[in-house]
Amino acid sequence: MNARSVIRLLGTIVLHVVMYALAIIAVAPFLWMVLTSFKELGDILTFPPSWWPKVFIWQNYVDAFDAAPFGRYYLNSLVVAFAVMAGQMITCSMAAYAFARLHFWGRNVLFYLFLGTMMIPGQVTMIPSFLVLHWLGWIDSYPALIVPGLASAFGTFLMRQFFLTIPRDLDDAASIDGCGKFGVLWKIILPLARPALATLAVFTFMGVFNDFLWALIVVSSEDMRTVQLGLAIFRDRYQTDWGQLMAASVTSTLPILVVFFFAQKYFIKGITLSGLKD
Amino acid sequence: MILFAGCAKKTDQHPGTITLSFWHSTVSSTVPALNELTAKFHQEFPDIEVKPQYVPTGDALIQKLITSVQSHTAPDISWIHANFLQDIVEADAIYRIDELQSPSDSLSQADLDDIYPALLQESKWRGTMYSLPMEATGIGLLCNKVLFRKAGLDPEHPPGSWADLRECSKRLTVARDGKLEQVGLFVPVFPASGPFGDWMVWQFYPFLFQAGGDVINKEQTHVLYNSEAGVRALTLWKDIYSDEHQSSFTIDYEVAFASGKLAMALDGPWNLPRWRLIKGLDWQIAPLPAGPIKRATIVGGEYLAVFRQSRHPREAWQFLRWMLRPDVQAFWSMKSGYLPVRSATSREPAYQKFLEENPPLKAYVDQLQVAQAPSPVDFFGLRISRHLAEAIEKATLGGADPKTVLDEAAAKSDALLAGAARNKSPQP
Amino acid sequence: MYRELTNARRNRSDWLSALAFLSPTLVVSGAFVVFPLLFSFYLSFHTWNMFSSQATFVGLDNYRKIATSEEFWAVLKNTAVYTLGTVPVNMLISLLIAYFLNKKLAGKRLLRTAFFTPVVMSSVAAAVIWRWVYEPNFGLLNTVLGWFCIPAVNWLNDPAAAMSALIVMGVWKTFGVNMVLFSAGLQGIPDHYYEAAEIDGAGRWSRFWYITIPLLAPTTFFVLVMSVIGSFQVFDTVYVLTSGGPLGTTKVLVFYLYEHAFKFFEMGYASAVAYVMFAIIFTLTMLQTKYLKQSIHYSA
Repeated sequence: MNARSVIRLLGTIVLHVVMYALAIIAVAPFLWMVLTSFKELGDILTFPPSWWPKVFIWQNYVDAFDAAPFGRYYLNSLVVAFAVMAGQMITCSMAAYAFARLHFWGRNVLFYLFLGTMMIPGQVTMIPSFLVLHWLGWIDSYPALIVPGLASAFGTFLMRQFFLTIPRDLDDAASIDGCGKFGVLWKIILPLARPALATLAVFTFMGVFNDFLWALIVVSSEDMRTVQLGLAIFRDRYQTDWGQLMAASVTSTLPILVVFFFAQKYFIKGITLSGLKD
Repeated sequence: MILFAGCAKKTDQHPGTITLSFWHSTVSSTVPALNELTAKFHQEFPDIEVKPQYVPTGDALIQKLITSVQSHTAPDISWIHANFLQDIVEADAIYRIDELQSPSDSLSQADLDDIYPALLQESKWRGTMYSLPMEATGIGLLCNKVLFRKAGLDPEHPPGSWADLRECSKRLTVARDGKLEQVGLFVPVFPASGPFGDWMVWQFYPFLFQAGGDVINKEQTHVLYNSEAGVRALTLWKDIYSDEHQSSFTIDYEVAFASGKLAMALDGPWNLPRWRLIKGLDWQIAPLPAGPIKRATIVGGEYLAVFRQSRHPREAWQFLRWMLRPDVQAFWSMKSGYLPVRSATSREPAYQKFLEENPPLKAYVDQLQVAQAPSPVDFFGLRISRHLAEAIEKATLGGADPKTVLDEAAAKSDALLAGAARNKSPQP
Repeated sequence: MYRELTNARRNRSDWLSALAFLSPTLVVSGAFVVFPLLFSFYLSFHTWNMFSSQATFVGLDNYRKIATSEEFWAVLKNTAVYTLGTVPVNMLISLLIAYFLNKKLAGKRLLRTAFFTPVVMSSVAAAVIWRWVYEPNFGLLNTVLGWFCIPAVNWLNDPAAAMSALIVMGVWKTFGVNMVLFSAGLQGIPDHYYEAAEIDGAGRWSRFWYITIPLLAPTTFFVLVMSVIGSFQVFDTVYVLTSGGPLGTTKVLVFYLYEHAFKFFEMGYASAVAYVMFAIIFTLTMLQTKYLKQSIHYSA
């Protein structure tokens, strides 16, 4: 055991300690939320906030699910989130390919203008967007929740930046072998862009699942409500039904964390991004 | 884990039953009571079914109403708030009450007179009635009896005057080692620009009234909240706030009260179910202390309006009218915990008995007798409220001089009102 | 000259393919993004209370009001301070965490998920804990500061401190996003670059500085642009923690815009504010582009 390896060991230990400490700071509020969903009201309205429930109760979950047909809301949220997620992976990859690989007049201008669309807060475009949907007759339907989400400046930007890091030699090699542009995208670029695709999938899923404002204005009937709309019922002008709100929030956050946990393997090193062996 | 919503249909439909959509924002714990209410209505009016639909409250309600009016999918009946009454009337989206009534089923003058005047005032815009109140809320003084006794005060004699209030809060404030362990009274100061800014102003009004003041003059040409009455009221808030060092108290007042860190707070009937659920809390509702000129409190409420896009305005009117019946008001108050909107309710025997068994609710209902509403502000109501909110925040949290900040705010409000006077007529 | 000819030929031939690849995005954006944006721009020259079907033309009045509004400039300053406070810190922390999560570390998946929870969590619930952290008398932060004999700070009610409190919570809430983006970016750097450098005798720091950072540039650019846009548009965290207080010191642009739209029913004015915001952010983005020029036209 020489000095070098001791230092290395110490370094590893320090690294672990620091990372875990930071992780605890990051996750503590979430743990509190989960534990609070099992508490009685008196246990929730305390200061300093209590951590472990004095009495473990399931009632909040029962009440939350009684308050509104959350089963249906989950179905709606999941359908819409998966549809938009899949849709964006396709449309954004295609658009990003055009911006990253193809040359055409006005490419950069168009790209930056497209980026610019992200810079206007949704609160002012919300009502005009609603009017478009109304003219299409899509109010209160799945298309209203899905179709507007199929184009994303964020997603396109993300994929384009990633595509830029993939060496062009590969494209050229494939073209020479007779691959058309779409073939290059499908066979060469996308497989290499798995980390970006996985990232996009996670963020899109999360963004759609957590959306409140848009769902609020396009959904009227109870059958089409999403989970976020459902959660609103636990707060009104003066009061919050804390226990039920925590219970419903926990169940609405879990799907996203599950998707995240499993999508991670696409960001983790270990998969050989070879194909670059020349 | 799929639970289906089909079970929402409890009533059987006769052919020819008219269904009315009714948008509300009642919190989840009150929804069962609302369903009982609409079921009761259907029993008396078998041809009409009122279908409640929850809409998230506050801004979300406004956004939903906007989009529904624009897309011609407005509900038959909806909760509306006085703060957007002007805009929704100017867009001609709702019926006037007089348009809905026919000679055979109109409200009598006696009925109208029986509604608490403060509530009736908020249903009008520029003197015309556009909505009817469905339920009321008010404020009272929530007191922790245990903390009172600990400080040597008698909970049976809660503070009766402003001086008492200030004295009690001082005695009920406990600091140790420079740390605030307990605060006497929560002076409801919130960020003026935040979601509770208007609520803060609403809770300030009783004190303004108690000092003999008002918000605006009858002709609506200039505001009155910077009068001597206003300065006195704001000075009271400022004094108590600084006595208690409330600026270093950032705990949510409900949490603070529930954990015994707060002895008194301005509170309303919506919290009654909550306090009952907390074990070991010994509490009561006392009337607000009397001011230098008079006793006064404020009421708020939820108002119902009928939309012009409704295909069944006459039937919708039946529901609004039915809601005002004293026995229905009693039923709704008992089930939901809201306050009734008319005094005849208190004479219903079942309700009287109910109140005897519920002293806190009785305390709120009794106070309705001295409830006052601010004089109508037909234009720029929210902006004027914002000016006042900023003044309140500056005087309490900011430590500024009440008269100075109130005058500053009044100058801004008056400038707006002068502009409004020039464009007096509403848009068609 | 040959280069230009090739480019010109490329431009023409790619135009059709570009159209094909861009069509889904263009169609959807056209209806649901471009039209609403144009409509809002149109609205910024009107007043409209949203319930009515008529909007009144007022020309440049809204823009004039913005220029002369004290409150607007104060709000803009708050937003700028918030952005300057959160973006660099956020990017640094998330890059370091993403970098170290690439190393040998036990329980990486769990750690990453833990770091991501603030992003998905409800702001309302998060605010309960953060308000406890910032409570002046018994809150976590002041208690810890007390151990080091640092005097207590009134984090939420002191106008001088509230913005800092907001910035810390803001970084906490969003660093997970950047961590994921940097992680994905780091995966895109082929191993053989590091191997070659190591063989050449480059140490850890050199490898980080001369390989990782430059090759990460497209991702960094992305993260920077998105972070700036995101912090200019912050709303939720402000709403739940300070609500724009105390005394308006944490009131940010979207707050201001939102209240003009849905509280004062001045959608025209709110639209004008939105476009001023757009102009500012767009300018900033173009400046960032100029500075990081090489990362945009990066090609291996």
